[in-house]
Amino acid sequence: MTHDGRRPAILAIDTATSRVVIATGSPTGVADGISTWQAGHRHGETLLPSITRFLGEQNIRRSRLTGIVVGSGPGAFTGLRVGIATAKGIAHGLGIPIVGVSTAEALLAASGVERAVLVLPAGPSDRLMVRAGQKPEPLPAGTEPKLGAGERLVALDLEGRAPDDALERGEVTRERLGHELIRMGAERLRAGGPSELETLVPDYVTLPRGVRAADGSIAWSRDHR
Amino acid sequence: MSGPLLLSIESSCDETGIALVDGGRRILSNVVASQVALHAPTGGIVPELAARAHLRWIVPTLDEAWGAADVSWSDVDGIAVTYGPGLAGSLLVGINFAKALAWVHDVPLIGVNHLEGHVYAGWLLDPGDDAESRVAPIFPLVALVVSGGHTFLAEMTDHLTYRLLGTTVDDAAGEAFDKVGRLLGLGYPGGPAIQRAAEGAVRRDVAFPRAWMGDSYDMSFSGLKTAARRIVADARAAEGIASDDTERALSAATTAELAWGFQDAVVDVLASKTARAARAVGARSIILGGGVAANACLRERLAGEAADLHLPLIVPRPALCTDNGAMIGAAGARRFTAGDRAALDLDARPSLPLATR
Ligand SMILES: [Zn+2]
Repeated sequence: MTHDGRRPAILAIDTATSRVVIATGSPTGVADGISTWQAGHRHGETLLPSITRFLGEQNIRRSRLTGIVVGSGPGAFTGLRVGIATAKGIAHGLGIPIVGVSTAEALLAASGVERAVLVLPAGPSDRLMVRAGQKPEPLPAGTEPKLGAGERLVALDLEGRAPDDALERGEVTRERLGHELIRMGAERLRAGGPSELETLVPDYVTLPRGVRAADGSIAWSRDHR
Repeated sequence: MSGPLLLSIESSCDETGIALVDGGRRILSNVVASQVALHAPTGGIVPELAARAHLRWIVPTLDEAWGAADVSWSDVDGIAVTYGPGLAGSLLVGINFAKALAWVHDVPLIGVNHLEGHVYAGWLLDPGDDAESRVAPIFPLVALVVSGGHTFLAEMTDHLTYRLLGTTVDDAAGEAFDKVGRLLGLGYPGGPAIQRAAEGAVRRDVAFPRAWMGDSYDMSFSGLKTAARRIVADARAAEGIASDDTERALSAATTAELAWGFQDAVVDVLASKTARAARAVGARSIILGGGVAANACLRERLAGEAADLHLPLIVPRPALCTDNGAMIGAAGARRFTAGDRAALDLDARPSLPLATR
């Protein structure tokens, strides 16, 4: 579906997994355009040019964007930094609200699996396990996830490190991520909570050993005229 | 020079800097959110935390810089952003934020080399200066840039035209300050702490080794660091402190003397090489930049060398020597005027060398 360029739209961006997802949709939460590509480590080169091309193809003028939705992870460092920095720049420039949606929660919702357990890579050997509404748990190399009755694994970006059926469910899930981001993001935008333009930061999968994530500890210097 | 009004963004290491600079010289606003305290517990920069802090503070930094400058977007001619060298994750934040702003506001994007930013800080005016009365650096010039991340000596024969004369072959000078500061129990960052301690030195004759690297302009500080470890160990033994005693610290007097000796060795090498280079290339001015330029001992020594050569020494005020957005706006203005434009696929170049056009 193409727009007439004047209809309001929201833009969703997710760079947490190996495939970048960008989607447009109505402020009511219905996705109407999705583009995905394998980014490798070239998120920085490809994201903004792809967004501008994609909006052009959809005939959506940037001035018609009313909100930005961005996947906040957990996921790969490089992608998340590029995605969130780009999203903040667009939202700030246009003066429109931005909301961060947990990529894991969006994937769980997108899986369509009743009791899904999401497994994502966390570095070259470890993995991360996420259940809806719960804190992610690390799954060190060599350990198998313990599943409760009726629970099913959904695995992304874990070729050779997760069962085939879990990976297949992962691919199906990934296809629907754009829709889910638009749906969840629109809901959050409509709720009109506090602006996340300043505070939004990525959910890292892991931090280096011994490092804790502090948020404060900034010293300001203002050296004007 | 009248020139472009640029919004400029710097995020290559652990400072988020955003400035508005008019004509590459006049600072309208210059705001820096520094993460020094965030990284103090580890005694060095943790790249993952640095990138996240850039993401957290980049919008407040922009809003502050914007609010202080009293300009509107229609006044802005372009956005300059550091695209290297530096930490990949940190660079990505500034670059992608800048690209998105440039696209939304439909203004040109200019990629700036962080190292040339340090050099171009020499063109920035101080409050109260006007462009006519304040001498700009004169070509050819030599620039010494010293910080925790870089140590190099370059010749500039014209704007944006650099010849790298020498660089550190191992540690940056600022890194050596950090490591020796820790060794002496003076904390992080080491530069200001060592300078403070050295001021209290009574005896000023402790000799630390200098790595002269023959006739080259290259520098080396890792041997100095190793020597410092030995000298500190010997001093502890002389004070009767057991080598495995982590409780007892060196006396304040000895700490001050060793701090002085270490600082003297670093400054001696930096200043001597800069003076020799200035003589060799027939320089007409010298620029000192980078965070270590805040070191009073280095400033004084280099001022003496420059005076002997009858050359003006240009040292930006401390806030412009450490990483900041204004220096990127100063270099960006020259690139803008020269017609340099970056596309929206601009990516981080963590090992970008000091470039020549
Ligand atoms: Zn620097």
